[in-house]
Amino acid sequence: MGAEEWFWYLAAAISYILLGIWHKWLLNWFVGPVWLVAFVVVGPWLTDRLNITNRSPVGDGIENGRRGRGTQNES
Amino acid sequence: MSWAAHQFEIYAVQSHLPKKMRGKVSFWAIFLGDFTPDFLSKFWVYGFTINGTRYGADVPHQWHRGFPGMGFTHTLFFGAILSLLIWGWKKNRAFTIGYLLGYAAHALTDINDSVGVLLLFPFLFLNFSSETWAYAATIDGGRYLDAAAYYSSLGLAMDVFWLIVVLFSWRVLTREHWRTMVVPADARIWAWFGRWLPERGLLALYRATFFYGLCRMISWSAWARLFADPQKYGEFDVTSRGFPMDLSWTGPYWLEARSLPHVNPWIAYPAALTLLALLYFTISKLWEPMGRRDRSGFDAVESGSADDQRAASDV
Repeated sequence: MGAEEWFWYLAAAISYILLGIWHKWLLNWFVGPVWLVAFVVVGPWLTDRLNITNRSPVGDGIENGRRGRGTQNES
Repeated sequence: MSWAAHQFEIYAVQSHLPKKMRGKVSFWAIFLGDFTPDFLSKFWVYGFTINGTRYGADVPHQWHRGFPGMGFTHTLFFGAILSLLIWGWKKNRAFTIGYLLGYAAHALTDINDSVGVLLLFPFLFLNFSSETWAYAATIDGGRYLDAAAYYSSLGLAMDVFWLIVVLFSWRVLTREHWRTMVVPADARIWAWFGRWLPERGLLALYRATFFYGLCRMISWSAWARLFADPQKYGEFDVTSRGFPMDLSWTGPYWLEARSLPHVNPWIAYPAALTLLALLYFTISKLWEPMGRRDRSGFDAVESGSADDQRAASDV
């Protein structure tokens, strides 16, 4: 797992744990998985759009549906 | 009842499959099998309130684990019936075996609280319970008190135990394991998700149940220990903020453990382990015969000439 992927997993976990302490309705089978997937998919896409990373946003995968160049290079 | 243990055990089952079944048992079936017992019974345990009227079980633990009640949903017998129905419907070995294993994992784990499960239903209407921690779902306390009791007792140790089991099998969470062992057994499902998600999203989806289990364990534990106000949930012999931790057997001390008529607690573990061994023996014996009758096309994925192979390569 690359550093960027670790970052998004950690960000998802820390935010979910902290919010979950005070907002218990978040702690369920549906929100939990959606939370993680949203962070891991939308996070990199958003930072690309905002030009925070050096990676080209083209072919990141989310707009291509199944897979894009960005996801091919992650392993 | 168990909390995050039910999320972790899905990966524990996935990583401890018999050798001949590795890469051939559906992860989603294990997930669904583990999810089903509480999905069928738990909504009424805590109940819900609309316009000041509470709807829910009068005796939550009787409803959840007893008979009369929905206790049959936490039995291997009912899991086997549902698995047979799935097999009759789809003739899909990967899904049927996975579902049965997930279901069994949930039912067997739940022997640990003070109510336990009807392990030998319908042959014996007594619960099997090791009384390791107190079952605490009540009308007044709801899931808050339930969580507070669970995460202030050996229930937390149970979650940590299953977490350690998964961490010792950490490869089950890797991209390589997902690609080589998980996707081929559920090729069509992953291909369907792949229409909307890139690969990193699919991998996150696979890891999501582990993520959810880990996060809820930490969140609820932190709340129970540091932030909860015990007096809000009943009259307890507790003066400080946060519920006290008590790792004694059938703890925590500050709550009365619920119980149902049960067998001697000493035979709960031997009975559960015997049933688990019988289950593994049975599915090992059924594996090849079921494979010959399988209509899922999974073997085609291995030999390389069907829609499933295309689906697997699309992910």
